Amino acid sequence: MNSAVVKSKDVTLLEILDRVLDKGVIISGDVVISVADVDLIYLGLKVLLSSVETMEKLRGSPFASPMQEAK
Amino acid sequence: MTEKQLIYLYCVTDREPELKETEGLVDNLYFVCNNGLYAVAGKVEDEEFGQEGLKQNMADFEWVKAKASMHERIIELVMANIDVIPFKFGTLFNTDASLKAMLGQYGQEFKAILRKLAYKQEWGLKIYCNPEKLKASLGNGDSEILKIEDEIKSSSVGKAFFLKKKKDELIEKTLNEKINECGQESFELLKELSFEAHINRLLLKEVTERDDDMILNSAFLVGKDEVGDFHNMVDTLRMHYEGKGLLIDFTGPWPPYNFCGLSSGKGQNE
Repeated sequence: MNSAVVKSKDVTLLEILDRVLDKGVIISGDVVISVADVDLIYLGLKVLLSSVETMEKLRGSPFASPMQEAK
Repeated sequence: MTEKQLIYLYCVTDREPELKETEGLVDNLYFVCNNGLYAVAGKVEDEEFGQEGLKQNMADFEWVKAKASMHERIIELVMANIDVIPFKFGTLFNTDASLKAMLGQYGQEFKAILRKLAYKQEWGLKIYCNPEKLKASLGNGDSEILKIEDEIKSSSVGKAFFLKKKKDELIEKTLNEKINECGQESFELLKELSFEAHINRLLLKEVTERDDDMILNSAFLVGKDEVGDFHNMVDTLRMHYEGKGLLIDFTGPWPPYNFCGLSSGKGQNE
């Protein structure tokens, strides 16, 4: 590769999601999935993230803990 | 329980990809070949990427973050040596045979895309605007605004009220003009140095998590020999705009996600 071109290191997750989820060749493979707009995914994820605590409370959380230790 | 596996497609190339460097990054990365084309793929669990699993996983921030970053890294490693056509996240097949059939079906188009992409790179440019800073920088330079300010000083209270309103409107108008000018000028100047250029949707503040508004989201396909000139132009734009509340985010080289649209319209990028 051309050594004069160095990828800037501080590429954010946003930059990656903006491309990987939104662009690239779209063909229908064998498994048809619908990946929503990056906006929706991103917003959805964050709304979900902020409401995890609320959901746990609502659920009474008998098994809500295994996946939520990261914090 | 049966552990069904699916085939996840990362990218397509027309030369045999070197997958050594990707070892350790992901299990089971391999390629299939048909019709002079190579598809770089990996085995994934149906439980994780099948219709049901994927729906759930897409709501898991950490999962999306990890998998999307992995998708990007694998394509980047492959493209270190050859030109690639990157696929969208989550393009899945049941068997190698159907993946090969796909290479056959789209062969001509993939080859045409690869011919177009040869010796070129994708670069991304996003511009953000901090309206307060931009406003502050306007006040010092715009003669009309300065004129109204002078008038306000020598006016009665009542007249000053209306003049202030007029001044605010003028500032707002000038602000929008500056923003359009900056976005358009930057895009046009860089487009001149590119083979192709795209303007993409602006992303919401809630998504970018920045205090500043995105005013341009663009991508450029640049010849490898022109990359130096392209960088110089970005530097020039930076010098011109930064400090005036306009921030330039320049990234690359990226896999050419924005320049691989299929001509037939089936599955074309929107």
